[in-house]
Amino acid sequence: MERDNHQEGEAQGVKICDPPCESNPPADTLATSLSLLGNHMFPDPVERNNSTTVNKQELSNPILSDVTEEEKSVDAEPQSNQVTKLEAEEAEISECQNNASSQTLDEGTEDAATDNDRSDSGEFVVAMLAKAKLEEQGIGVKGRSSPLLEAGIQESPAFMSHRDEDVTAESWRQHRKHVFVLSEAGKPIYSRYGSEEALSSTMGVMMALVSFVQSGDNIIRSVYSAEHTVVFLQKGPLVLVCVSNSRQTEQQLRGELLYVYYQIISMLTQASISRIFEHKKNYDLRRLLAGSEKILDGLLNLVDSDPSFLLAAVHCLPLASSLRDSLSQILLKAITPNLVFSILIANNQLLTIVQEKTVIEDARLEPADVHLLLNLIGASSAFQAGEIWTPICLPLFNPDCYFYAYISYLDPPECTVCLLLLSTDKEAFYAVAECKRKIEEAMTAQNSLSLIAKVQSYSVSQVGVSDLRHFMYKPFDVPDNYRQLTQFTSPEMEAPYSSEEEKMRLLDLYRYMHSRIHSTSRPLKLIYHVAERETLLAWVTSKFELYTCFSPLVTKACAITAITKLLRWIKKEEDRLFIRYPQKYSTTPNPSKSSRGGKSDQQDSTENGFLSLL
Amino acid sequence: MPEVSKMKKPDVKVVLLGDMNVGKTSLLHRYTERRFKDTISTVGGAFFLKQWGPYNISIWDTAGREQFHGLGSMYCRGAAAVILTYDVTNWQSLAELEERFLSLTDTANHDCIYALVGNKADLTDPKAQLSPDSDVASEECEESGCPTPPASPASLSGMTLHKQVTPEDAAALYGRILRYKGLEEKSSLPAEKLCFETSAKTGYNVDTLFEALFDLVLPCILRKRNENQESPTVDLEECRGTSNKRTRSACC
Repeated sequence: MERDNHQEGEAQGVKICDPPCESNPPADTLATSLSLLGNHMFPDPVERNNSTTVNKQELSNPILSDVTEEEKSVDAEPQSNQVTKLEAEEAEISECQNNASSQTLDEGTEDAATDNDRSDSGEFVVAMLAKAKLEEQGIGVKGRSSPLLEAGIQESPAFMSHRDEDVTAESWRQHRKHVFVLSEAGKPIYSRYGSEEALSSTMGVMMALVSFVQSGDNIIRSVYSAEHTVVFLQKGPLVLVCVSNSRQTEQQLRGELLYVYYQIISMLTQASISRIFEHKKNYDLRRLLAGSEKILDGLLNLVDSDPSFLLAAVHCLPLASSLRDSLSQILLKAITPNLVFSILIANNQLLTIVQEKTVIEDARLEPADVHLLLNLIGASSAFQAGEIWTPICLPLFNPDCYFYAYISYLDPPECTVCLLLLSTDKEAFYAVAECKRKIEEAMTAQNSLSLIAKVQSYSVSQVGVSDLRHFMYKPFDVPDNYRQLTQFTSPEMEAPYSSEEEKMRLLDLYRYMHSRIHSTSRPLKLIYHVAERETLLAWVTSKFELYTCFSPLVTKACAITAITKLLRWIKKEEDRLFIRYPQKYSTTPNPSKSSRGGKSDQQDSTENGFLSLL
Repeated sequence: MPEVSKMKKPDVKVVLLGDMNVGKTSLLHRYTERRFKDTISTVGGAFFLKQWGPYNISIWDTAGREQFHGLGSMYCRGAAAVILTYDVTNWQSLAELEERFLSLTDTANHDCIYALVGNKADLTDPKAQLSPDSDVASEECEESGCPTPPASPASLSGMTLHKQVTPEDAAALYGRILRYKGLEEKSSLPAEKLCFETSAKTGYNVDTLFEALFDLVLPCILRKRNENQESPTVDLEECRGTSNKRTRSACC
């Protein structure tokens, strides 16, 4: 949530100056460049009719766009408890048709008419641009249509490589969510699908869009079409673009782009990225990220399939508090100077975490940093027998310095229980590896591994509330667990949500509920949402955030009673479901070494040799 | 393997260096696990302990990516042998060894042994396609995760690729390495003994490589042990003898 606020703050800080007289000629160039972009991105035969003639006045006329904005907010009003998004959607479509005036084709589209493939897409994107929000008046999130209108599931998260995909193919355009990363010079850095080389012109056009808007002292934030949402995020010398038809809100998509940015930072640090681009504007960052594509691919798959990212909280494995305590004790006893975090993970879920005292006083480990670590482990575990030693940056902890991560599995060859030790000392491998020996030994003595092996996530049936199918519960920081890692708990997804498609559908519903609760313009506290195949209830208070999913025939009263029961159950199981009292230890006689942004850490990033590459 | 190696202090260090996608992890995997499988680009470096007779040899499998370049010299510190790996179908991977990786070995032992290994020989050489084990044929034949352009398609179709690096090129580089290190060619080990062509996929020459190298570092191990014996520091571990699998006391 902090992050979201931050985003908004940034947005409002932008000065707006949009002289209408200036904008017609540039709009032409923009339209032309858009048609190029559209060539790859948005050919849509259905939309073509709506958008062949676009009133380009709207591009430049702030008054008109004001009106549109008002309409939108009016549309958004009547949707209260029961969701009636259909109206909104229709209104949007008609609005689009109204906008499409009888004005003659401009050069851009005429040009395109000769080239059939080009024309469709080009015009389509122009239509989108007509609705582009150019960061005027810090416009809030526009009412989005319900995910129910369109299940929007074309593909389950696939784990094959999409690197070789044909970017001109229809299937490429059909992807649910594209993510592109480029440098300010327009150089491609990453594309989720298809090779960056093949997309270099597309990315060039994206950059043209960004700089065009920038030249008017504005920042492009998003472009809407009926089918797609294009979200832009500029972070230092990097530009991140998401093109989605997932029906997620701009806010959520921007949050996901931020995760991508953080993952890049976690590999290179913010300081070295800015240094690299200061020295050489058109540096090809892929040189440094080569081989890391799978980590980014993995992250994006997780973002789509794991609600931890949406909730910005960590999911820990339910564990008897006695066992969790004994594991923490084992970690606490195996320490070495400059060790700052010891984390035990099973099946990509947190078992326990202990921290160096001075570190936790300074700052706490953010859920996003933990997500990045978990993703790194997940993506690099192909060869699990060895002990890995690698630099890693925790961007929310300190975006400019490296930690050194020791990663080792404790139960080869199954490789489910993973130990992660973070040190600030690059040379500490052998000392840290020795800690692992001690941990391994103590765990053998206490038979911890076989106890962990028996641990499973829980079933919603254990709650004992009929009609309750699934839930996600995230307690907030309350004084007694202040500075603790934000966590959430959630049972396994069971039938009817056992297939990938159904899981995704439920997650999409949760995303929709989340967007309503966290809407910047009109946040809701309690939503009772009757969907086609289930009923959902989301509730946010000062103490927690709760999302529940019931069978479709549940009544409102029934759901409320069920939630009371559920909350009582969670309270009872609290010690098992969450890491309650994070343990701390003290390793460093010299606190400056481990403190946030310590000088010694920063040197490490320079030492890592990026400068030598330039 | 982890059972045996758990508490042992490594006697000697061997480091695998080379550009990304040349097959460093696959080579090591073939040697330790006796099979070839899909690998993912290594992050940082991975540490392995290999029991070699009574000795413990630590092997560092490093990441070839530029991202981790700065760590290379740390992994190489005190190394007794460095395996410089290239891809026989990719001339650039050999050039990179000289440009990018050779300087990292400055922190290695002064008497460090340098081996030059051309991997993926199965792509160019029919004799490397024959595997020493018979079960290999049934295994998946996907090349490593991120495809080096020429590798994947060819390995699937079984045709041979144009070989870009000949053994003579490798021997020439070996000579240049010796010169860079200021070593006499006559007093050093000859190129024939330290230039290999291997295939992690079929297992061709992989054992030969590691075993030859381990034999060559034996003198280094023995000297190190002697030094230890002469040193005034009492090594408690050493006193217990190598057969003792008890743990070291937790003293720090």
